[in-house]
Amino acid sequence: MSATVLSVRKLSVFLRDGRAEQTVVDGVSFDLAAGEVLALVGESGCGKSKTAEAIMGLLPSGLARLEADEIRLGDVNLARLGAEAMRRVRGRDLSMVFQEPMTALDPVFRVGNQLTTPFRRHRGQSRREASNSAEAMLRRLGMPDPDRVMRRYPHELSGGMRQRVLLAMAMACRPQVLIADEPTTALDVTTQAQVLEDLVRLGQEAGTAVLLITHDLGVVAHYADRALVMQRGRIVEEAGVGDLFRAPTHDYSRALIAAARGLSG
Amino acid sequence: MNGRVETWSRLKGDPAGVAGLLIVGVFLLLAAGVWAGVLGQGWADASGGRWESPGAEHWFGTNVLGQDIFERSVYSVRTAFEIGLVVAVLSTLLGAALGALSGWYARTWVDGTVMWLKGVLDAIPFYLFVAAVAYALQGRPWAMHLAMVATFWTTTGRLVRAEVLKLRGQDFVRAARTVGLSDARILLRHVLPNTSHILLVQGTLALVAAIKTEVILSFLGLGVQDGVSWGLMLAESTQEVPAGHFANFAAASGMLFALLMGFNLLADALQDAMDPRQASL
Amino acid sequence: MNGRPSAPLLSVRGLTVEFRQPGGPSLTAVRNVSLDIPAGGVVALVGESGSGKTSLAQAILGLVPAAAGQVLFRGEDILAMDRPALQKTRRAVQAVFQDPLASLSPRRRVLQTLLEPLEQFGIGDRGSRARMAAEALAEVELDASLLTRYPHELSGGQRQRVALARALISGPELVVADEPFSSLDVSLQTRLVELVRQIRRRRGVAFLFVSHDLAVVRRLADSVAVFYAGRLLESGATRRIFAAPAHPYTRALLAAIPVPDPGLPPPRILSGETPSPLTPPPGCVFHNRCPEASEICARETPEERSLPGTPDEEPEHRVTCHLHND
Repeated sequence: MSATVLSVRKLSVFLRDGRAEQTVVDGVSFDLAAGEVLALVGESGCGKSKTAEAIMGLLPSGLARLEADEIRLGDVNLARLGAEAMRRVRGRDLSMVFQEPMTALDPVFRVGNQLTTPFRRHRGQSRREASNSAEAMLRRLGMPDPDRVMRRYPHELSGGMRQRVLLAMAMACRPQVLIADEPTTALDVTTQAQVLEDLVRLGQEAGTAVLLITHDLGVVAHYADRALVMQRGRIVEEAGVGDLFRAPTHDYSRALIAAARGLSG
Repeated sequence: MNGRVETWSRLKGDPAGVAGLLIVGVFLLLAAGVWAGVLGQGWADASGGRWESPGAEHWFGTNVLGQDIFERSVYSVRTAFEIGLVVAVLSTLLGAALGALSGWYARTWVDGTVMWLKGVLDAIPFYLFVAAVAYALQGRPWAMHLAMVATFWTTTGRLVRAEVLKLRGQDFVRAARTVGLSDARILLRHVLPNTSHILLVQGTLALVAAIKTEVILSFLGLGVQDGVSWGLMLAESTQEVPAGHFANFAAASGMLFALLMGFNLLADALQDAMDPRQASL
Repeated sequence: MNGRPSAPLLSVRGLTVEFRQPGGPSLTAVRNVSLDIPAGGVVALVGESGSGKTSLAQAILGLVPAAAGQVLFRGEDILAMDRPALQKTRRAVQAVFQDPLASLSPRRRVLQTLLEPLEQFGIGDRGSRARMAAEALAEVELDASLLTRYPHELSGGQRQRVALARALISGPELVVADEPFSSLDVSLQTRLVELVRQIRRRRGVAFLFVSHDLAVVRRLADSVAVFYAGRLLESGATRRIFAAPAHPYTRALLAAIPVPDPGLPPPRILSGETPSPLTPPPGCVFHNRCPEASEICARETPEERSLPGTPDEEPEHRVTCHLHND
């Protein structure tokens, strides 16, 4: 039984809609153990992305309100952290990969420049050291010719390659927790397998726990250890992946699995 | 882009916007009063003595010719709105039409011609252009309007062109083409209505610019010929202020400032209220 | 009477679509593609990004020009038609696009959007048109009260149904849909797929839809055409292609999909990258990633061949691959 690296208790997110407030995440609680891949699965609007943003401290400030008993990373309660302290935690202990690789990289800077940034900022490496670290990272991802990739601009790379670069950036500091929000939804299915494999493998090598957010049950089945099913802001089921698919206990989980199975024939 | 109802409710919630709306509203009422023949009719009458101080009979006092400054100020509201509205509407329409054409037919000769025209007009120093037009039209009252419309449309045109370029690739335009709609119909029915947020804001800004420009033109003697405006009053006041009479200057500049301030507040608030990104997540 | 059905409703012959970059080289999005759509049939164009499937659909709709080839609708080449003839064809070939929020004019109400094709094609009169609009909504299982709404007031699923209603309202013989299900959640997709099946059964309208989602294709399409980097690599009956894919790319595509069953083997990785459309490789366009490539694959582009052994009622099973060069 691995140690718990992230502990969330009664996390709620409220969105301001004109004068009223809408509850998009309703008292969510879960634990994330070191080295495991935990899938947060649900349809659009269920609150899974907002949960991730809340943990990362990335909620839009004027419009969203966060309430939580605790969001414990190691021995720090992120829910009580100020913006400055949160900024230090982000990227170093806690990092995130988003859905759209097209827009997540700054188009006016070369890939190398962006990839070396986390090494320089959080690990205090010099430019030369960071460049080597970045290249080593790309090599570990199995990318051919990392040197050439570093010298490219984002628009010169394919979506799959960009996403892997973003993965490298997120894992640069060997964070305790990596949150991946629909990391392969925007990619071709033949590239998806590669990126997800890399994600899981890097996580295991670094001992990083992964919170994988997805709407795709196929992804959950093959890349996650455990799964949390979310519906309308609440977690309705929590189970190991094998158990979930074999014998789902909640009606919604059952419906989701049936719909996914139905489509795939 | 926000719908009408949403925009209005957001505007109502913005104190600056409400203030702007109120100010503009008051001035609009004054202008209406002048148009209706109810206010400001005595702007030309030399009904008082020279340089009378503000008092019961002449609220703002009189100018060098004994004309009532208050009457003149109020009449000038109508002049301002008239110039503002004519120039705003015409320049916005012209900008929308030419901008839409050049955006839709981008990189063809249509676009090339319009852009060339824009370039030429933007390069000519504005007041020289106006002076040339005024001279050519031998001081006809609408010389000023024409000159302003001919130059103001370029900003709107540029913005509309950019927006049309963006809209051109959208699926709803493709959908209209699959139904076989002609280009003209697609532009009028589907594309231009989606530039209305640009047109509204640009129209408001053109209105403000027109009023300001009229002031300067009248000050230079190139502006209003048959009537009175704040510009003319300011021109008069250049003689009066050194002699110690500030009423003309104060009235004209005060009202001008108030109206322009009101419009600026309104335009900013309107732009914010129409922008869907402000409240969405 | 068996034997292949009579002339197809729509027949694409040797179509090539190119895009010229302003002041740059031209990009071949679709190269020499031929395929048939039978009357009342459902054909799916599948492929990943850059495969050309969307460009092909747009060329069929007349939204982008073709550099070469023909698109025969009822035997006549759409690409060579003059305006009046084209307008008649438009009525018979309608479209549904991917993002319903972008495909419905944001400043027009649902009613106005539905009336537009009727007005354009001169169907009905003022009185009957409103009724037809309400009926069109009913057919896609939406309430007539939605006629007065604007697109942003509807949910994603509702919007897509309105787009479908608009496509069907003029009574077309073929509906071309570009990724119509992609923007929807799985449960909504299932419902929409079911709806399309019903409509197809009821009206006998043919569908050509573009999709990257093989699960939906399997459920809905009679036949499939697999695209890669602008070329048509394999086409045939859906059941056959899924059960016994002939082209290595089709096999790799099927193997890469994660099936929601942890008991089954995990998706297999296909290494390498899709070639850039500006610099197509010599020989077979897939050879640099193909696990079964041989040296001829790097030299010569394979020809499309029809595989023997398909029963007469089924569409031909065609492959473009050196492995099937007998």
